[in-house]
Amino acid sequence: MTIDEAQTTTAPISETAETTALVGPWKVVVLNDPVNLMSYVVLVFRKVFGFGESRARKHMLEVHEVGRSIVWCGLREQAEHFAFILQQWHLTAILERNETD
Amino acid sequence: MKRIEVKLSLAVVAPLLDVIKAVSESLDDQLAAAVQLERIDVDLRKAWRDELVASQNGDVQSLLALFDSDFFASGVVNFDEDNADAILRACAAVRLRLKDHYLNDMADEALESGEVALEVLTVDQRRYFMCYLFLATVQELVIEHLEPSVS
Repeated sequence: MTIDEAQTTTAPISETAETTALVGPWKVVVLNDPVNLMSYVVLVFRKVFGFGESRARKHMLEVHEVGRSIVWCGLREQAEHFAFILQQWHLTAILERNETD
Repeated sequence: MKRIEVKLSLAVVAPLLDVIKAVSESLDDQLAAAVQLERIDVDLRKAWRDELVASQNGDVQSLLALFDSDFFASGVVNFDEDNADAILRACAAVRLRLKDHYLNDMADEALESGEVALEVLTVDQRRYFMCYLFLATVQELVIEHLEPSVS
């Protein structure tokens, strides 16, 4: 990165506008698959949930390294909606009941 | 509207297109990725699956439409913000199908890294693997140029 670029680069203010909170009765979980590219999974998380880059990447790495990541929690109808959209993008998305609620 | 034109080598890509078309057609009304619908209401499952299949079919048609007579005349394919999502999803669908049905003898790690000794593959496996890599390259191009913030 050049000095000019460094001076004009703006850091993201925050990711507080993101739509998700990991609480609620239903979890949307994405499981690992050996096919989809990491950059593709990040893109999907950004498009579907409005995640910022770092948050999308964090979930992608969790999927890749742990085998699964809880990407959203909330009411069942909305969880079904997100699971469906993720499946349209060919990610392995499942619904789980949040036992902690 | 952002738009990219990619010039491909007809000599390299044309032989792969027959494979991609055949694999796409093999999807027919089957989903590329298995979906777990146990948590979905029984009454909803058929409609859920049917909608996924319809979406997948539309995406695959968008991918195949890239390689029309203009492509065979010029070797150029066009990606823009209108077709990018469908192309990305279709590439994922065909890659999943390739992995599950045609490259299932190959280790996941080898497919993920792309580090495969081509000389140990059969002629058919080699063609399927080249398609697998080609579609990944298409995805990377679209993500890099039309979704630069996530590349």
